[in-house]
Amino acid sequence: MKARLDMNKIARGLRAERKGKVFAGGGYFGAMQLLADIETRFRVPAGGGRATDPDWTERRLVPLAPRTLKRLEAITEGIKTRSGVNVEPMQLAGLLLEKTAEQLNEDEVNDLALNRARTVRWSGRRLRPAKPTGSLNWRTR
Amino acid sequence: MLVVLFVPSVERDGTTPIDQDRWVDAALEMFGRAFGGATAYPKAKGVWRDDERNGALVKDEPVVVHCYTTRTDIEDSRNLAELGSFCRTMGRDARQGEVGLVIGDEYFAIREFTEE
Repeated sequence: MKARLDMNKIARGLRAERKGKVFAGGGYFGAMQLLADIETRFRVPAGGGRATDPDWTERRLVPLAPRTLKRLEAITEGIKTRSGVNVEPMQLAGLLLEKTAEQLNEDEVNDLALNRARTVRWSGRRLRPAKPTGSLNWRTR
Repeated sequence: MLVVLFVPSVERDGTTPIDQDRWVDAALEMFGRAFGGATAYPKAKGVWRDDERNGALVKDEPVVVHCYTTRTDIEDSRNLAELGSFCRTMGRDARQGEVGLVIGDEYFAIREFTEE
Protein backbone atom coordinates (compact mmCIF):
# COMPACT_ATOMS: atom_id res chain seq x y z
CA MET A 1 0.00 0.00 0.00
CA LYS A 2 1.21 3.49 -0.76
CA ALA A 3 2.33 5.66 2.12
CA ARG A 4 -0.10 8.40 2.98
CA LEU A 5 0.72 11.98 2.16
CA ASP A 6 2.69 13.65 4.92
CA MET A 7 0.08 16.26 5.81
CA ASN A 8 2.23 17.78 8.55
CA LYS A 9 5.00 18.38 6.05
CA ILE A 10 2.52 19.94 3.65
CA ALA A 11 1.14 22.17 6.40
CA ARG A 12 4.66 23.28 7.34
CA GLY A 13 5.54 23.94 3.69
CA LEU A 14 2.43 26.02 3.21
CA ARG A 15 2.61 27.62 6.64
CA ALA A 16 -0.98 26.56 6.98
CA GLU A 17 -3.07 25.07 9.73
CA ARG A 18 -4.53 21.60 9.32
CA LYS A 19 -8.23 22.07 9.91
CA GLY A 20 -9.41 18.51 9.42
CA LYS A 21 -10.56 15.93 6.96
CA VAL A 22 -13.04 16.53 4.25
CA PHE A 23 -15.16 13.47 3.72
CA ALA A 24 -13.45 12.10 0.67
CA GLY A 25 -15.60 9.00 0.78
CA GLY A 26 -18.66 10.82 -0.41
CA GLY A 27 -20.16 14.03 -1.67
CA TYR A 28 -18.64 16.52 -4.03
CA PHE A 29 -15.04 16.25 -2.83
CA GLY A 30 -15.22 12.50 -2.66
CA ALA A 31 -16.39 12.26 -6.25
CA MET A 32 -13.82 14.77 -7.48
CA GLN A 33 -11.04 13.09 -5.54
CA LEU A 34 -12.02 9.73 -6.94
CA LEU A 35 -11.95 11.08 -10.47
CA ALA A 36 -8.61 12.76 -9.85
CA ASP A 37 -7.16 9.51 -8.53
CA ILE A 38 -8.33 7.61 -11.57
CA GLU A 39 -6.99 10.20 -14.00
CA THR A 40 -3.63 10.66 -12.37
CA ARG A 41 -2.86 7.09 -11.36
CA PHE A 42 -4.19 4.86 -14.08
CA ARG A 43 -1.72 4.27 -16.88
CA VAL A 44 -1.81 2.01 -19.92
CA PRO A 45 0.76 -0.76 -19.30
CA ALA A 46 3.86 -0.76 -21.49
CA GLY A 47 2.70 -3.94 -23.22
CA GLY A 48 -0.75 -2.50 -23.90
CA GLY A 49 -4.11 -3.39 -22.39
CA ARG A 50 -6.44 -1.71 -19.97
CA ALA A 51 -5.20 1.32 -18.04
CA THR A 52 -4.41 0.51 -14.43
CA ASP A 53 -2.37 1.66 -11.46
CA PRO A 54 1.16 0.29 -12.00
CA ASP A 55 1.51 -0.20 -8.23
CA TRP A 56 -1.38 -2.66 -8.15
CA THR A 57 0.60 -5.86 -8.43
CA GLU A 58 -1.43 -8.12 -6.12
CA ARG A 59 -4.48 -10.01 -7.33
CA ARG A 60 -7.12 -11.60 -5.10
CA LEU A 61 -10.61 -12.92 -5.56
CA VAL A 62 -13.02 -10.78 -3.57
CA PRO A 63 -16.58 -12.03 -3.01
CA LEU A 64 -19.26 -9.40 -3.58
CA ALA A 65 -23.00 -9.17 -3.21
CA PRO A 66 -24.73 -8.73 -6.59
CA ARG A 67 -26.10 -5.37 -5.46
CA THR A 68 -22.57 -4.15 -4.72
CA LEU A 69 -21.38 -5.14 -8.17
CA LYS A 70 -24.41 -3.42 -9.72
CA ARG A 71 -23.65 -0.27 -7.75
CA LEU A 72 -20.01 -0.31 -8.87
CA GLU A 73 -21.14 -0.79 -12.47
CA ALA A 74 -23.55 2.13 -12.19
CA ILE A 75 -20.87 4.42 -10.74
CA THR A 76 -18.28 3.54 -13.37
CA GLU A 77 -20.88 4.05 -16.10
CA GLY A 78 -21.66 7.47 -14.64
CA ILE A 79 -17.96 8.38 -14.54
CA LYS A 80 -17.56 7.32 -18.17
CA THR A 81 -20.64 9.25 -19.32
CA ARG A 82 -19.87 12.46 -17.46
CA SER A 83 -16.10 12.65 -17.72
CA GLY A 84 -15.10 10.23 -20.46
CA VAL A 85 -12.84 8.38 -18.03
CA ASN A 86 -12.88 4.60 -18.41
CA VAL A 87 -12.66 2.61 -15.23
CA GLU A 88 -13.78 -0.95 -14.62
CA PRO A 89 -16.08 -1.79 -11.69
CA MET A 90 -13.44 -3.88 -9.92
CA GLN A 91 -10.80 -1.19 -10.44
CA LEU A 92 -13.16 1.20 -8.68
CA ALA A 93 -13.58 -1.41 -5.93
CA GLY A 94 -9.80 -1.58 -5.53
CA LEU A 95 -9.56 2.19 -5.30
CA LEU A 96 -12.33 2.45 -2.71
CA LEU A 97 -10.83 -0.39 -0.68
CA GLU A 98 -7.45 1.31 -0.71
CA LYS A 99 -8.91 4.66 0.38
CA THR A 100 -10.91 3.15 3.22
CA ALA A 101 -7.95 1.10 4.43
CA GLU A 102 -5.73 4.20 4.41
CA GLN A 103 -8.29 6.30 6.25
CA LEU A 104 -8.58 3.88 9.17
CA ASN A 105 -6.05 4.88 11.78
CA GLU A 106 -4.51 2.51 14.33
CA ASP A 107 -6.87 3.59 17.12
CA GLU A 108 -9.90 2.86 14.99
CA VAL A 109 -8.51 -0.56 14.08
CA ASN A 110 -7.88 -1.31 17.75
CA ASP A 111 -11.40 -0.16 18.68
CA LEU A 112 -12.83 -2.33 15.95
CA ALA A 113 -10.91 -5.36 17.12
CA LEU A 114 -11.87 -4.72 20.74
CA ASN A 115 -15.54 -4.37 19.94
CA ARG A 116 -15.57 -7.50 17.84
CA ALA A 117 -13.78 -9.44 20.55
CA ARG A 118 -16.38 -8.32 23.08
CA THR A 119 -19.40 -9.12 21.00
CA VAL A 120 -18.64 -11.94 18.59
CA ARG A 121 -17.26 -15.40 19.04
CA TRP A 122 -16.38 -16.88 15.70
CA SER A 123 -17.46 -20.49 15.26
CA GLY A 124 -15.89 -22.99 12.94
CA ARG A 125 -13.75 -22.55 9.91
CA ARG A 126 -16.36 -20.71 7.90
CA LEU A 127 -16.22 -17.74 10.22
CA ARG A 128 -19.88 -17.53 11.04
CA PRO A 129 -20.58 -15.21 13.95
CA ALA A 130 -21.79 -17.16 16.94
CA LYS A 131 -25.02 -16.23 18.67
CA PRO A 132 -24.47 -13.82 21.51
CA THR A 133 -24.67 -15.32 24.95
CA GLY A 134 -26.00 -13.73 28.11
CA SER A 135 -26.37 -9.98 27.98
CA LEU A 136 -23.66 -9.12 25.53
CA ASN A 137 -23.93 -5.61 24.28
CA TRP A 138 -24.13 -5.64 20.48
CA ARG A 139 -22.68 -2.51 19.05
CA THR A 140 -22.52 -1.31 15.53
CA ARG A 141 -19.86 0.90 14.07
CA MET B 1 -4.05 13.99 -6.10
CA LEU B 2 -6.55 16.85 -6.15
CA VAL B 3 -5.76 20.34 -4.85
CA VAL B 4 -8.66 22.76 -4.53
CA LEU B 5 -8.26 26.49 -4.00
CA PHE B 6 -11.08 28.91 -3.29
CA VAL B 7 -10.66 32.34 -4.86
CA PRO B 8 -13.02 34.75 -3.09
CA SER B 9 -15.07 37.54 -4.64
CA VAL B 10 -15.20 39.95 -1.71
CA GLU B 11 -13.02 41.18 1.10
CA ARG B 12 -13.44 40.00 4.65
CA ASP B 13 -16.10 42.66 5.24
CA GLY B 14 -18.36 40.71 2.88
CA THR B 15 -19.18 43.72 0.70
CA THR B 16 -16.03 45.17 -0.92
CA PRO B 17 -15.42 43.35 -4.21
CA ILE B 18 -11.93 42.19 -5.10
CA ASP B 19 -10.36 41.80 -8.52
CA GLN B 20 -11.35 38.15 -8.67
CA ASP B 21 -10.45 37.64 -12.34
CA ARG B 22 -6.89 38.73 -11.66
CA TRP B 23 -6.54 36.30 -8.77
CA VAL B 24 -8.05 33.46 -10.76
CA ASP B 25 -5.60 34.09 -13.61
CA ALA B 26 -2.73 34.32 -11.16
CA ALA B 27 -3.82 31.08 -9.47
CA LEU B 28 -4.01 29.25 -12.80
CA GLU B 29 -0.54 30.47 -13.74
CA MET B 30 0.87 29.42 -10.38
CA PHE B 31 -0.74 25.97 -10.57
CA GLY B 32 0.37 25.55 -14.17
CA ARG B 33 3.95 26.50 -13.33
CA ALA B 34 4.32 24.52 -10.13
CA PHE B 35 1.95 21.59 -10.58
CA GLY B 36 1.39 21.18 -14.31
CA GLY B 37 -2.11 22.58 -14.76
CA ALA B 38 -5.45 23.56 -13.24
CA THR B 39 -9.07 24.26 -14.06
CA ALA B 40 -11.13 27.19 -12.80
CA TYR B 41 -14.85 26.54 -12.54
CA PRO B 42 -17.59 29.15 -12.92
CA LYS B 43 -18.55 31.16 -9.88
CA ALA B 44 -20.15 29.27 -7.04
CA LYS B 45 -21.95 30.54 -3.97
CA GLY B 46 -20.19 30.35 -0.66
CA VAL B 47 -20.26 31.39 2.94
CA TRP B 48 -17.53 31.63 5.58
CA ARG B 49 -17.99 32.19 9.31
CA ASP B 50 -15.60 34.81 10.61
CA ASP B 51 -15.05 33.76 14.21
CA GLU B 52 -12.87 36.80 14.89
CA ARG B 53 -15.83 39.05 14.10
CA ASN B 54 -18.37 37.42 16.39
CA GLY B 55 -19.23 34.72 13.89
CA ALA B 56 -20.23 37.15 11.14
CA LEU B 57 -21.18 35.26 8.00
CA VAL B 58 -19.28 36.41 4.92
CA LYS B 59 -21.20 35.47 1.79
CA ASP B 60 -19.44 35.53 -1.55
CA GLU B 61 -19.20 33.96 -4.97
CA PRO B 62 -15.90 32.10 -5.01
CA VAL B 63 -14.26 30.59 -8.04
CA VAL B 64 -13.12 27.06 -7.28
CA VAL B 65 -9.82 26.10 -8.90
CA HIS B 66 -9.01 22.41 -9.26
CA CYS B 67 -5.48 21.19 -9.81
CA TYR B 68 -4.77 17.53 -10.47
CA THR B 69 -1.19 16.82 -9.51
CA THR B 70 1.10 14.10 -8.27
CA ARG B 71 2.17 13.13 -4.77
CA THR B 72 5.74 14.05 -5.66
CA ASP B 73 4.81 17.53 -6.81
CA ILE B 74 2.54 18.30 -3.87
CA GLU B 75 5.19 17.23 -1.34
CA ASP B 76 7.96 19.19 -3.08
CA SER B 77 9.08 21.94 -0.72
CA ARG B 78 9.59 24.52 -3.49
CA ASN B 79 6.10 23.91 -4.84
CA LEU B 80 4.62 24.13 -1.36
CA ALA B 81 6.49 27.38 -0.75
CA GLU B 82 5.15 28.83 -4.00
CA LEU B 83 1.59 27.72 -3.27
CA GLY B 84 1.80 29.02 0.30
CA SER B 85 3.27 32.32 -0.85
CA PHE B 86 0.49 32.75 -3.41
CA CYS B 87 -2.16 32.11 -0.78
CA ARG B 88 -0.59 34.59 1.64
CA THR B 89 -0.28 37.26 -1.04
CA MET B 90 -3.91 36.79 -2.04
CA GLY B 91 -5.02 36.74 1.57
CA ARG B 92 -3.14 39.93 2.37
CA ASP B 93 -3.87 41.95 -0.79
CA ALA B 94 -7.49 40.88 -1.02
CA ARG B 95 -7.99 41.45 2.72
CA GLN B 96 -9.18 37.96 3.59
CA GLY B 97 -9.71 36.39 6.99
CA GLU B 98 -8.65 32.99 5.72
CA VAL B 99 -7.52 31.36 2.50
CA GLY B 100 -8.72 27.77 2.17
CA LEU B 101 -7.11 24.87 0.38
CA VAL B 102 -8.14 21.25 0.14
CA ILE B 103 -5.29 18.84 -0.56
CA GLY B 104 -6.29 15.23 -0.94
CA ASP B 105 -8.77 14.65 1.84
CA GLU B 106 -7.69 17.43 4.15
CA TYR B 107 -8.61 21.09 4.55
CA PHE B 108 -5.81 23.59 5.20
CA ALA B 109 -6.37 27.13 6.38
CA ILE B 110 -3.91 29.95 5.87
CA ARG B 111 -4.61 32.84 8.20
CA GLU B 112 -1.19 34.39 8.73
CA PHE B 113 -0.39 36.43 5.64
CA THR B 114 3.01 37.91 6.45
CA GLU B 115 6.00 36.67 4.46
CA GLU B 116 9.05 35.62 6.46
